[in-house]
Amino acid sequence: MSRSSTNILDRPLGRPGGRAEGSVVSLSAFAYIYSELVQYHQQRAASISELERRLESAGYVVGLKVLEMIAYRAKETKRETRLMSILHFVSSSVWKSLFGKAADSLERSIDHADEYMIIDYEPIASTFVSVPPDLGQLSADAYVSGIVAGVLDGAGFSARVTAHSVQVEEGEYTKQGGNSIPGIPPRKDKAVFLVKFSPEVLSRDAALER
Amino acid sequence: MASSKAQAGQTLWAKMPKANAELFALTYGSLVTELVRDYEDPIEVNAQLERIGHSIGVRCVDELLSKADSSNLGSAVTQCGNLRDTAEVVSKVGFRMFLGIQAEVGGYSQDQRSFSIYLQENPLSTFVELPTIGDEQSSSSPSGGLDDLRKLKYSNLYCGVIRGALEMVNLKVECTIVRDTLKGDELNEIRVELKEVLSDGAGDDYKEE
Repeated sequence: MSRSSTNILDRPLGRPGGRAEGSVVSLSAFAYIYSELVQYHQQRAASISELERRLESAGYVVGLKVLEMIAYRAKETKRETRLMSILHFVSSSVWKSLFGKAADSLERSIDHADEYMIIDYEPIASTFVSVPPDLGQLSADAYVSGIVAGVLDGAGFSARVTAHSVQVEEGEYTKQGGNSIPGIPPRKDKAVFLVKFSPEVLSRDAALER
Repeated sequence: MASSKAQAGQTLWAKMPKANAELFALTYGSLVTELVRDYEDPIEVNAQLERIGHSIGVRCVDELLSKADSSNLGSAVTQCGNLRDTAEVVSKVGFRMFLGIQAEVGGYSQDQRSFSIYLQENPLSTFVELPTIGDEQSSSSPSGGLDDLRKLKYSNLYCGVIRGALEMVNLKVECTIVRDTLKGDELNEIRVELKEVLSDGAGDDYKEE
């Protein structure tokens, strides 16, 4: 336990903080902190879109760090350069390391070639959130969309990422025993993270295709 | 007696749904960063963190009590006869159930009205480094700003949480972080001092906020 004397840069990154127990805290603890983060920004935001933008920028810096962390921990030193592989990286590696599971699906928009959707049926950030009617379109997962944007931007794929809560259609997603978190009912909304890549990212990817 | 509380804490922790500790730490980090950016003065940031913690504390005490109750852990957790019991519950049950960490309690004062909670590990401060202590002179420079950050009590949230939680059970306490691994101490120590035992219905006098 000579952690205090060791410089933070000398500590191993593999096992975060040297914590023995698989490095988890309770979901409640996360929810309390996240709730305070949202409240804090809500006090300072004049509109729903400003609140979302503030949450996104809070997530953005987290995303940059997460990318670095995952990249350092990965055994192979490789860097994703292709559009599809970075999207897979986000929806599997990033999701697994942050939320303990892969994203439920990754889809390409039919209408727009530059748009992709990452879908999560049980988004962690909005687990205990119920959006009041006067906040209407607010998605409490805006923070996560910020993280995604941070990861993508850090990897050289600048993109605009927005979070949307979309009602789950009947029979679309069924899981035995309802919610995977015991004690709360199945979720009515899924989170759709819409990723819209910048034109230069697409043209670069097209150039790599050849 | 003490071990039964540790047992209860372990039981509750095992039942809690979990979240990634790094996401937790980074989220708290982005909150602190935002506060530092908005308030600039670290003393004010400490106060804000305490206030935020308080708002968490008043809610998480309910979760603790109701979950202890529904897990049939009985009166060992939900009924405390004296401050020693309370201290044990805060550290052995509270910290364990929400953060999954071992917290030790000790350093009782002669009059039994204050105690310390010792944390070997601090999930809030993973990945965190504060500006180093040492050059006191430069802190008097008018610019203040970043090098003033060593006055920041990064984990001051805990103080607010403990104050808020105990306030809900009619104990008015004051907490301070006296040792902090981020400042080079070998462990984290939170000093809790009982100010007053509130009588039932004294809820009004906490309107100051």
